[in-house]
Amino acid sequence: MSTGIEQTPADGETLTEDELEALIGDRAIARDDHMNAPGFVVNPDEVQSVLSDLKERAGYDHLSSVTAQEYEDRYESIYHLKKYADASDEVSVVVPTASDDPVSESAEPVFRTADWHEREAYDLVGIEYADHPDLRRILLPETWQGHPLSKGYDQEKPQVVTLSEHANPLESDHRESGGESDTMFLNIGPHHPATHGVLHVETVLDGETVVDVEPDIGYLHRCEEQMCQQGTYRHQIMPYPDRWDYVSSGLLNEWSYARAIEDLADIEVPEYAQVIRTMGAELCRIASHMLALGTFALDVYGEFTAIFQYTFRDREVVQDILEDLTGQRMMFNYFRVGGVAWDLPEPREEFFEKTRDFLDELPAKVAEYNDMVTSNEIFQTRCIDTGVLEPEVAKDYGCTGPVARGSGVDYDLRRDDPYGYYENLDWDVVTRDGCDNYARVLTRMEEVEESAKIIQQCLDLLEDWPEDDREVQANVPRTLKPDADAETYRAVEAAKGELGIYIRSDGTDKPGRFKIRSPCFSNLQALGEMAEGEYIPDLVASLGSLDIVLGEVDR
Amino acid sequence: MIGLLKSMATTMKHALDGSTFTVEYPKTAPDVSPRFRGVHKWSQERCIWCRQCENVCPNDTIQIVMDDQRNGEQYNLHIGQCVYCRLCEEVCPTDAILLTQNFEFTADTKHDFVYNKEQLKSVPWYKDIDPLESREPDRGAWIGEGEGEVDYQ
Amino acid sequence: MNAATPLQSDTVLLPERIGELTGLAEFGLAGELLATFIAAFIVGNLMLAMTGVAGPWAKRKITAAFTDRIAVNHLGPGGILIIVADSVRLLSKENIIPENADRPAYDLAPIVIAGSALLGFAVIPMGNGVHLADPEVGLVYVFAVAGIASIGLMMAGYASGNKYSMLGGLRAVAQNIAYEIPLVVTGMSVVLFAGSLRMSEIVAAQSEPLITIAGVAIPAWYALVNPFAFVLFLIANFAEVGRNPFDMPEAPAELIAGYQTEYSSVYFVLVYLGEFLHIFLGGAIITTIFLGGPAGPVLPEIVWFIIKIWAVFLLTQWLRSAIPRVRIDQLIEIGWKGLLVLSFANLFLTAAIVGVIQ
Repeated sequence: MSTGIEQTPADGETLTEDELEALIGDRAIARDDHMNAPGFVVNPDEVQSVLSDLKERAGYDHLSSVTAQEYEDRYESIYHLKKYADASDEVSVVVPTASDDPVSESAEPVFRTADWHEREAYDLVGIEYADHPDLRRILLPETWQGHPLSKGYDQEKPQVVTLSEHANPLESDHRESGGESDTMFLNIGPHHPATHGVLHVETVLDGETVVDVEPDIGYLHRCEEQMCQQGTYRHQIMPYPDRWDYVSSGLLNEWSYARAIEDLADIEVPEYAQVIRTMGAELCRIASHMLALGTFALDVYGEFTAIFQYTFRDREVVQDILEDLTGQRMMFNYFRVGGVAWDLPEPREEFFEKTRDFLDELPAKVAEYNDMVTSNEIFQTRCIDTGVLEPEVAKDYGCTGPVARGSGVDYDLRRDDPYGYYENLDWDVVTRDGCDNYARVLTRMEEVEESAKIIQQCLDLLEDWPEDDREVQANVPRTLKPDADAETYRAVEAAKGELGIYIRSDGTDKPGRFKIRSPCFSNLQALGEMAEGEYIPDLVASLGSLDIVLGEVDR
Repeated sequence: MIGLLKSMATTMKHALDGSTFTVEYPKTAPDVSPRFRGVHKWSQERCIWCRQCENVCPNDTIQIVMDDQRNGEQYNLHIGQCVYCRLCEEVCPTDAILLTQNFEFTADTKHDFVYNKEQLKSVPWYKDIDPLESREPDRGAWIGEGEGEVDYQ
Repeated sequence: MNAATPLQSDTVLLPERIGELTGLAEFGLAGELLATFIAAFIVGNLMLAMTGVAGPWAKRKITAAFTDRIAVNHLGPGGILIIVADSVRLLSKENIIPENADRPAYDLAPIVIAGSALLGFAVIPMGNGVHLADPEVGLVYVFAVAGIASIGLMMAGYASGNKYSMLGGLRAVAQNIAYEIPLVVTGMSVVLFAGSLRMSEIVAAQSEPLITIAGVAIPAWYALVNPFAFVLFLIANFAEVGRNPFDMPEAPAELIAGYQTEYSSVYFVLVYLGEFLHIFLGGAIITTIFLGGPAGPVLPEIVWFIIKIWAVFLLTQWLRSAIPRVRIDQLIEIGWKGLLVLSFANLFLTAAIVGVIQ
């Protein structure tokens, strides 16, 4: 049957739900609406045609996440689609597959980003994707037995993965060439000063030019999704988000879970708490961007340069403020379902003064960074036009956050899918058209200034807030049991980009499925596009400008 | 070239003003905020063995052993495994377990980090900060305190 | 041979003076040889002692000052005894030799790196008669032995059996070839002024006053006579000794530690000291041919000499704190397209000017 509606994708016109239904037509065998979006159940062999129709004709050009899960009677892959032009316009494509033969068509030809997401689904849940270019395990070792998030998996059984069972990358000096080319295979990491953690980049070099890049992740896989599935909604999950992106963006991470569960359990957060949340989150963003700038400088300058220490010194001030507010420097556990743990610390005036002092000094510090870094000619020759990520490529890879905004993709969930108190505040989304390492650095530095603007306004609000209306937590029952089979995918703008949480409730006080959509995971995929054909130093700089945290990539 | 000189001038300015931002730890004990969460301190007098802390703990850090009359026998806390989320303190109706500001603790093996009742009682305050003052717990309804000072030992 | 008069009082070299003082000179060739050894021992140790101070202590303190930190301060006043502690630590560590190391080359490389720099100090006049040898081709000699270091880096690079080391070694060679030529050519422009390759004569030629301002005579240091050549020489020298922004052979963020990745314990100490020796040798060459050698008011000459080479060291650390590393292709480009052209232009201009004046 024909889809009935002729739609051009570029005009940004939004299709109504009925029109969407008509577009998918017969290919939808049922509806499975989620709380955040309409959901269409399609057959496993029609994934590509449905997704490409949604992408080309309905404008859903952002595959933000792929969730896989196993039910008693079937496997299920969920493709969470959004629009870069309008993040609140979402649709889910649900693909059930049989328990005994879980094979589904891969979405990789439509969205490049599906590559890694489907590999993860295969690795952890065990769904196989036909047509996938490279369906290997991604987080677990290659010799791992079974799929840990599937039903039949024996959680108790210990598995020992010895070094000798691993493919030894040192053996293959010449990849895909039969030893005839004059390229060199080089392992960058997992113990390399510039990989920002335990990342292993398999690199093929021609001289010093990078020919092929293949990030190998999973060294820091800590089963975060599974740990969250074993915690109760009310209290036990909240400490974990701090540990995904563990370089001081804790509150931003916590917000992703808070937003998802508050949506799922229909909890209204008091306005006062939202203001505190907004302020805390932006403080975290400043701390995180400071670190990003410092480590990027480390990659470009080499050794422990002054700029790294200066950013650390300034980040330290933010951490002190956050410590006063939350009681911890990095692992905050400050958000609660329905609010925050504490009001501002007493005496309030002292806290306001300290924070305002920091904000007052910030412009001078940013000016100093500009003196030292961005106006430095050698820095410019190193960064301008290196690590180029075209906007279309960035979208294809599902890049978000400063990486996407540095490539001119105007996408910021704080504005596009408002939450917290952001829509009542006056601030701007920073985008730059450079698409290169330099643009990404500048984007982060300008975002720091925007965050400062937000904090300033929050402080004003908090200072004048009537004393009898300072409710920091909604009245939430001690035990939360959302309705069975309620599903939602909710994302917030974390320091690195779109941090989304998918929760399916199974009627108990613990999630049936808890899926984390990590911005670093998607952003890191684009490394190959940025680095191939450039020199090793540019590869290192590009990696630094992506600002990945391996704790969030591997989860 | 101007940019290069500006960079160099900036670092030289820092070198000449002589200020430092690091602390000479352990010579000077750093200040921690009143809300800071460190090693736990537990009071046998206040504990009513309700086991809520054990239940709320996200990663089984607290292990409580009771006899068949529900009298408490053991209270073990693995401070090496703890994530310092403060949920136990938050859930405790009697403020029997508190997180002090003390962050310095060492041991030879990870098993030494399993603190029993006695060890938990003798955890010192950090710089004499009483965490209760800053955390404003509102649980007076549970057990009458009297007017006197609270004694955690 | 030349009109410029060598300093009469300083023509007595250190080995001869030691020979006279100890009476070794009376024992003919053997005595002279022994006296030379003693003199070389003294100078070598002086230099090694300076690197010993620079490596574990001064570098840390300087970096800390630039980065608003305190750095070593527990052992001794200002943490100076960290030098002792670090020596004990480094020397007592296990010397790990990789399986794939190419043995004789792997063992020789640290010695070549450190030794080549020490050899260079033989012709540097350090003032107060501390001057080991003064051959007619002094300047050429010092460039030649300093150049040996790149062989050491290459040896360390390939013999380690590590790809990062290999890349580091290759970079070192590419860089040294690109910057050796501008370095020597710029050095030659000084020779045009001095009219001699002999170190003592180059120093002597700089002792005449350039201009006199308010009774204070400004000496004709070539850094003041030809500042353009001085800047060129400084840049080429930083590249030659592999300091920021040209620390390509090591490039910690890219190549881990380049050619020295696989070195540990004593070998590492040698490589590390060798690097510092090269910075100091670079400083000594700059001092000698651009900064009037050991000359200076009030203080003894040798003190001035040490102050000058430490100033150059300080400059390397300052650049390190503030300037990003250039990329390898940019480095080579700057070397061949920029510095080489400029240094030849400088040479021809200098030649023309010197020709006109004479």
